[in-house]
Amino acid sequence: MRKVLAVAKWEYIEKIKSKAFLFSLIIIPVIMIGMGVLPGLLASRPDTESKIIGVFDQSGEIYQPLKKYLNIHYQLPSGKPNYVLVSVADTLNTVQEGKNLADALVLASEIEGYVIIPKSIMSDTSVEYRSENVGNIRVTDRLTNAIRDLVVEKKLHDQGIDPILVKQLISPLEMRTIKLSKSGAEESGFTQVFFTAYVFMMMMLFLVLTSGQLLVRSMLEEKSNRVVEILVSSCSANDLMAGKVLGLSGLGLTQMGIWVVMGLAISLKFGVSVIALPSALLLLLYFILGYVLYAALFVAAGSPVSTEQEAQQITSYLSLTLVLPIALALPVMQNPNSMLVKVLTFVPLMTPTMMAMRIPIHMPSTIEIVSSLALLALSAIVMMWIAGKIFRVAILVYGKRPSIRELLRYLRSN
Amino acid sequence: MLTVSHLRKQYSTVLAVDDVSLSVQGGEILGLLGPNGAGKTTIIRMILDIIQADAGTISYDGKPFTDAVRNLIGYLPEERGLYRKNKLINTILYFASLKQIDSDEAKRRAYDWLKRFDLLNYYDRKLEELSKGNQQKVQFIISILHDPQLVILDEPFSGLDPVNQILMKDILSELKHQGKAIIFSTHQMDHAEKLCDSICLINQGKVILEGKVDEIKRRYGKNTIQMIYNGDGSFLSTLASVKTAYIYENYAELVLDTDRHQNKLLTEIASRLDVRKYENVEPSLNAIFLELVGADKKIGGETGGKQ
Repeated sequence: MRKVLAVAKWEYIEKIKSKAFLFSLIIIPVIMIGMGVLPGLLASRPDTESKIIGVFDQSGEIYQPLKKYLNIHYQLPSGKPNYVLVSVADTLNTVQEGKNLADALVLASEIEGYVIIPKSIMSDTSVEYRSENVGNIRVTDRLTNAIRDLVVEKKLHDQGIDPILVKQLISPLEMRTIKLSKSGAEESGFTQVFFTAYVFMMMMLFLVLTSGQLLVRSMLEEKSNRVVEILVSSCSANDLMAGKVLGLSGLGLTQMGIWVVMGLAISLKFGVSVIALPSALLLLLYFILGYVLYAALFVAAGSPVSTEQEAQQITSYLSLTLVLPIALALPVMQNPNSMLVKVLTFVPLMTPTMMAMRIPIHMPSTIEIVSSLALLALSAIVMMWIAGKIFRVAILVYGKRPSIRELLRYLRSN
Repeated sequence: MLTVSHLRKQYSTVLAVDDVSLSVQGGEILGLLGPNGAGKTTIIRMILDIIQADAGTISYDGKPFTDAVRNLIGYLPEERGLYRKNKLINTILYFASLKQIDSDEAKRRAYDWLKRFDLLNYYDRKLEELSKGNQQKVQFIISILHDPQLVILDEPFSGLDPVNQILMKDILSELKHQGKAIIFSTHQMDHAEKLCDSICLINQGKVILEGKVDEIKRRYGKNTIQMIYNGDGSFLSTLASVKTAYIYENYAELVLDTDRHQNKLLTEIASRLDVRKYENVEPSLNAIFLELVGADKKIGGETGGKQ
């Protein structure tokens, strides 16, 4: 046991001091935050200046109401109107004249763009927006909505129906979902449950990825610099393996812990409410057992590896089994008690993630919980045993990767 | 200290080690000799319990291998290498901690050894900054820092310059006089000849010769001539009474079929070569090695030239 700790300490301390660790500690959250926040910042940034939009109203009925509508609905933070409408041409111009006139204004950057409202707007359903920049979806969306509302309102009016009454009559329906459980009712949306499970799966994925990769790398390094021979002459292969798994898992957990604290701090600062996971302890148990299973799998698959490329392959194949449940998340959560989902729950590699999705939505029966935990624990133990056998022989094999048949022979030897 | 009997190891179709027995006592140096691929490293790995034997027994002071035995053995593997990115002293302390040496004690010993090997400048440096030879010295320090009773060195001299080879020899003698049991493998016979009390010659997994070095040499008799000369010595192998000749650029070792008629031989050689030294001796281990291992008869330069 002392030797296990000596190995674990070495792996943990030496790696945590490395620049690579510090780098990934900082760079991964930066990338994640960047991916989540940056596009939003870029796209939904409110305008700071009024935009001048031209209108070529051939019907002569839309320009004035549209001006009023936009003034009421869209204003800049400073209180000025977001869109200033100008009539670039009117019913007196022919279509071609109007277009030529207005196009010139656009190209001279006098106006942002302009809409052509056809004569037959009441029966026609299409209008034209012409601009140098047609990628600004917000402008076109708002104009479309505004013109549609105005046309509908006018049509209703012409039929002698009060538009305000219609608005009241067709008001949309909102549904609240209440999750019932033995401890009482609580308001809980599908998004919230989905998010909970999603966070769990992402944490699992990241921990397995980082620790697994560290494990494979460290075995590969000791193999290629031949230190492994000194190591296994100083402690047993099992001590070495246990020490590595312990030390590098500790490292992965440290990294995750720092991220979680960072995440919580940021959420609290921005007033995002943090909801404690229901049945958190149960999920933690699945998390740990699942992690041990993966660690053993990484050792078993990683110890025969002797090149960097093979190491990459192993890591990505194993990670795929974690990505799969994420892809299945939506259908599973819509139907958490279907037979297929129940079967998948008993595939050990999927057990933790499946349960992470099922438990927050609908607590499975006690029998299912106990039996899935037992199966997961058993497969983790068996996998560790197999990994130990393979590790002992495979770390001394340099060069050629052993075939499946050879691996089976390792298992039979003692 | 160590007794190995009837050791056997088979790799799928190859019998790597076949019925090998050997033993080494405290205060004794055993040379494990043999050509490349003879099975030396496999034997060493079985002694260290890195791989397991198919048959045979290994006992340490009469007891079987346990985890405690690991702390009594020091090992320098043939394939050299260390962590590249880690500091020298941290690496040494890590391996000492695996041998369960207390950290302060390990630091004190590391200091002494680094001083002796003239490596104190690198105390806090990363190992990748050290030259290959210096890394090898660090590795040797790691193998003996925990004061092991049994020291196993696989090719300890390869890669060292002459100055450090002498230092290495001195330290091995010291360890011997401290009562340690030492096994080292080599295919450089001159090292074995100068250092070993006894040798064990392995070829194709079998022991083909073993015993005390002086006894073995005596057994082969004084039928060998060592000579240093100037000129083209290639004709030496064609001489009538020469059984085997190992011919190098300016040096030759001739094994005769008899130790008589040497005057005639000397006259003939002297007429064709400028002989600077001519000596009638016991055969060198190198010659015995080459004869037993079956290197090509009468050609020495290629097979034995690794000096």
